[in-house]
Amino acid sequence: MRYIVAADTGGTFTDLAAFDRVEGKLIMTKSLTTYDDLVNGLMDCFHKAKIDLPQAEIVKFATTLVINTFVQRNGAKTALITTEGHRDILEIKRGNRAIPFDLRYERDPVLVERDLRIEVRERISGDGSVFRPLDVAQLESIAADLKHMGIEAVAVSFLNAYANSAHEDQAAALLRERLPGVFVVAGSELTREWFEYERTSTSVANAYAGPRLADCITRLDSRMRGEGFSKTFYMMASNGGVVALKRARQQPCAMLESGPVGGCIGAGVYATALGLDKIIAFDMGGTTAKCGIVQNGQFEVKSPYFVGGEERGFPVRHAVIDIVEVGAGGGSIAHLDEQGRVAVGPRSAGSTPGPVCYGLGGTEPTITDANLALGRISASSFLGGEMRLDEPAAKGSIEALAGKLGFAGAAGRDEMAQGIIALGTLTMASAIRQITTERGLDPRDFTLFAFGGGGPLHGQTLAREMNIPEVVIPPEPGIFSAIGMLLADARVDETRTFLRPLTEEAATEMAEAFNQMEAAMSEALTAELGPVPLTFLRQAQMRFAGQRHFVQTGVTPTSTLPQTRSAFESLYRQRFGHVDAGAPIEIVGLTLTATASIQRPPLEQLRPAVDQPATPRRRSVYFAERSGRLDTPVYSRNALPSGFESAGPAIIEEYGSTTVVGPDDHFSIGVLGEIRIRLSPSEKERPS
Amino acid sequence: MTNAAHSTAGSAVNTTVNPITAEMIRHALLAIPNQIDLNITRTAFSPIIYVYKDFACGIVDPEGRLICQGKGSIPLFVANALGVAVRDGLAVHGREGIEPGDVIFTNDPGSLGQHLNNVAMYTPIFSGGDTPELLGFMAVLVHWIDIGGMVVGSAATSKSTDIFQEGIQFRSVKLWSRGKPVKDVYRIIESNTRFPRMLMGDVQSQLAGCLLGRDMFLGIVQKYSLDKVRASIEMMWARSEAAARLAISRIPDGTYSASSFLDSDSIDVNRRIEVNVEVLVHGDEMTVDFSKVSDQVKGPLNSGREGGAVTAARIAFKYLVAPDEPANDGSFRPLHIVVPDGKFISAKGSAPMGGYSTPIPTVVDTIIRCLVTGMPEYVAGGHHGNFGIHGYSGISPITKQLFHCSSTMHGGWGASLGHDGPGPYKTMAHGDTLDIPVEMQEALYPIRIESQHLRIDSGGAGKFRGGLGVEKVSTFLAPCSSHVSSDRNGCAPWGILGGRDAAVPDVEVEHVGGQRESARKTTIPLAPGDCMYITSGGGGGYGDPLERDPASVERDVRLGYVSRESALTDYGVVLDQANRAQAEATRMERQKRRAQR
Repeated sequence: MRYIVAADTGGTFTDLAAFDRVEGKLIMTKSLTTYDDLVNGLMDCFHKAKIDLPQAEIVKFATTLVINTFVQRNGAKTALITTEGHRDILEIKRGNRAIPFDLRYERDPVLVERDLRIEVRERISGDGSVFRPLDVAQLESIAADLKHMGIEAVAVSFLNAYANSAHEDQAAALLRERLPGVFVVAGSELTREWFEYERTSTSVANAYAGPRLADCITRLDSRMRGEGFSKTFYMMASNGGVVALKRARQQPCAMLESGPVGGCIGAGVYATALGLDKIIAFDMGGTTAKCGIVQNGQFEVKSPYFVGGEERGFPVRHAVIDIVEVGAGGGSIAHLDEQGRVAVGPRSAGSTPGPVCYGLGGTEPTITDANLALGRISASSFLGGEMRLDEPAAKGSIEALAGKLGFAGAAGRDEMAQGIIALGTLTMASAIRQITTERGLDPRDFTLFAFGGGGPLHGQTLAREMNIPEVVIPPEPGIFSAIGMLLADARVDETRTFLRPLTEEAATEMAEAFNQMEAAMSEALTAELGPVPLTFLRQAQMRFAGQRHFVQTGVTPTSTLPQTRSAFESLYRQRFGHVDAGAPIEIVGLTLTATASIQRPPLEQLRPAVDQPATPRRRSVYFAERSGRLDTPVYSRNALPSGFESAGPAIIEEYGSTTVVGPDDHFSIGVLGEIRIRLSPSEKERPS
Repeated sequence: MTNAAHSTAGSAVNTTVNPITAEMIRHALLAIPNQIDLNITRTAFSPIIYVYKDFACGIVDPEGRLICQGKGSIPLFVANALGVAVRDGLAVHGREGIEPGDVIFTNDPGSLGQHLNNVAMYTPIFSGGDTPELLGFMAVLVHWIDIGGMVVGSAATSKSTDIFQEGIQFRSVKLWSRGKPVKDVYRIIESNTRFPRMLMGDVQSQLAGCLLGRDMFLGIVQKYSLDKVRASIEMMWARSEAAARLAISRIPDGTYSASSFLDSDSIDVNRRIEVNVEVLVHGDEMTVDFSKVSDQVKGPLNSGREGGAVTAARIAFKYLVAPDEPANDGSFRPLHIVVPDGKFISAKGSAPMGGYSTPIPTVVDTIIRCLVTGMPEYVAGGHHGNFGIHGYSGISPITKQLFHCSSTMHGGWGASLGHDGPGPYKTMAHGDTLDIPVEMQEALYPIRIESQHLRIDSGGAGKFRGGLGVEKVSTFLAPCSSHVSSDRNGCAPWGILGGRDAAVPDVEVEHVGGQRESARKTTIPLAPGDCMYITSGGGGGYGDPLERDPASVERDVRLGYVSRESALTDYGVVLDQANRAQAEATRMERQKRRAQR
């Protein structure tokens, strides 16, 4: 079969990336996302890219539909069935105020209001034993009421179901039978972790989004099959892998963040191919910058994830690639606050009006305007020259801000523009600090893998701020997220609470519990994906007895007790700097990750096509390292073959991005067409 | 003490720093306590720290002035407890007596004015070189889980009548001296707690925070130069001060006053504790006057000047004029506090202080209440204001070891212009404090939590309705001793500008056999099968309830927030059998009720 296809319906555009195995090349299209019907928009993309569906081997689909359902609060009419006495858990939450001094602080409205939260008599005790059996007659009568009310989705969440799911299983089975066509989900089908609020919130969110996503998938699947598609169709999940449709329908919230994960997946695949065992994946776009850690090709996932943000949103217990996102992108605005302090972002000019230089009505200077004013990007080669930038306007807006802070003339303008870059870099650096130093990792041991429209432009500056020695820019950085999806494997994560002190006996029980989880997952995944080889990764959530936070520690089926203990202690020491050797350790939970390889395009064939080498143009570019401007060569990326190398300074331009190489750096083009920038250990940048 | 003249005192600052560099240094400084916050939350051993966030991290200058503080710590510590601790250390040891590598800790009630569990630890930050210069202190305050005294948990007493019954005192003692642990002191700590392993784990985490913070501060000095860092700190203070002054100047000048009260100190059970406060706004300065509050009380609800009066005034000040500014010395310069010695919030060091924080939310809320007429578009009705502490301890039937679990209640917050009251949340003295999940309590302790419900009609009626309180019912499954401290049963969370008061909290225990007793402030033995009913108050309403949109009342009834009876008698809304508001009947009803006033 000829094609491997990945399609991503984002907020504004639907991107489609396909690899044509016959021609050995990438096909990319972009079209406006059609909100009234995602399916039509997507089918248009296939037609526009001239992809013959009977010739498609694999189709992967990412969508913002689930997150949009929450943002717009337009999900299903949902009811929640809870243990008697506890229907208000969804509204009481954890009682915390994430913003301390706000008299009006509130979280976003609940997905299920109080009159549709219904209590049923049943009770499981804290140890998992049945204290009060499920009142089936009462549940029957509730089911009849729900039918009468026209409920479209039902979440079931009982106390202590993480320890014993019998009542939830029984209730869900009864409701499915009595309410055909209604989306029914129980919390313990999604997560076997303790904490009733988080689990209830997860089940409610899945019920709320379930019917819409299921409907979209069903229609898309049948349209594609109608046009002759006969192979496998996957959904992109937030954990960095794809899942089969059956699982996607049951767990719509596993698809919450399916867009942004593509870049991390791609970074992991490239890092492995290039032999880089520790990288920071750095993606900078128009409004935000994101980063994540990839070690030995593996990225970390985290749970819970807060829909709508930690300050005002609600939690769902699904594995989401551990990405930190901060408000620093090309459109981030530089401004003075009421006290005259200069700040860059998080306010963003977005794409409309956009930066001042877009000439679409923006008046406040942005990071993009600063880059233009400093010569780091050029007015004529933005997006391959398709969009001409207004350089005088950008400079004017920066001079206006500079004047308020006492910087004058062209030198003052440069200093101000450099200040905007430096403050933006500071925000990006804070994101990197969150994923490295705050977890006991040293950024100097990592390579910065930069992509997105702004990643190559700021990677070098950021690396210098964080003392990171090397920056790598992959091919096609502007559309790297879509390429990452083409490279994604299938993946499922499952966690269950497992409270035991770490003893010989517990180690044996743990291995046994993992064996059972593996067997169950194998069976489920074989049904979903066919007879594919699966790889399992076991991690135990462990902590010193009495602590709350745990450290995910890798274990193997043959790990001995001392091995498990020392693996935990060394991770703990790395992360927190001290360890109380010999203190009792406890296991809190078990996480099992299953992956299955999926066919992917060979990376060699994703190398940028190289034209004839040409003499570089030159322009004046400001560099903080010299606190001044340098006459700098400007290369076109497709004039640089593998093996090319040179000292900085340099600018490398391509369609979707521009790479900056500093005057103390050295760069080369690697075997997969990647740009590698080595930062030499020069005197530390002094910003003033 | 909090005077504008402070701004140039101390270190002479000659260097100027450009505004971009100053901003970069400010962010780098703010990042230090925030990182230490995270480390402590992750590495602490006792739930009161990692769940309740009962700790604070910050950097103070050589005079004890706050440079910055972590945003994760609870509001109770915005008052400069860290700086106060350092000043006591300077008084005890002298500046020359504090050397590089020292780590000092203190819970001195005479200076900190808080219960003895709150222990501040700090280490000096010295510049390198041949003549090390003192640059400041990295300080971490942590609630120590137990430091002896008459009850498990030390502070959780309702009957103590002096501070010596509440645990051991460490006044500015060196834990480390010149880079070496003082082993004798470690042994004293270890032998004066009921939970040595947990406490020593927390102490280790607190110590690691001090040392890491110190090194991070030195890293910034190395990167930017000492002069630039100092200039940036001065600039930070000046700007926070200017922001606070600007906000105060927007409040009309005048003398504002308000009153409230607490039920009792749990010893003199029939005597209320009066909270009569005056706030004077003049230009860009604000004075909080506590001259008319009750005197020091016999029971453990006292606090010292810093832990009581200053803390409450600063928390209220943050809510009113500086909610978004990171706390630092500058932001509090326009705030003045008047409090004679010997009041219950300026008590002697020997006074019992186990429950020192119990009155704080009420004092804070009363200060805010003063400004109802000054800031009517901002101030909210009273919040439930009560910690509602209910802890239990005993021997776990599973582990056969001593356990101790302490919870607090969340309740309704007040309504404000355009907003129904939010919640349920903990009090104004809490911030990002998470409630302990039912499943965690039931897995670890012998308890079954039967229900946790919003209380119908508990929010104060108003054009904007107050938030709802909660009722929690628990059954105990093993013999244990329960400590309860619940107040505000007498003084209801107030409505403002025509809004009504909210329901008050209460605690009762039903023993096996059906006998019920009140248990608001007490320590009582519980038998398996005994049941505790604990409620929290709601939030006060805002504006005349007869002006509330009938559709909102209809929704409140549908959701069970408001009863049909209250809809009619409080809001004048007439509902049909299906609980739909009847427009014409409602108009007539409201007219009639207005006429009857």
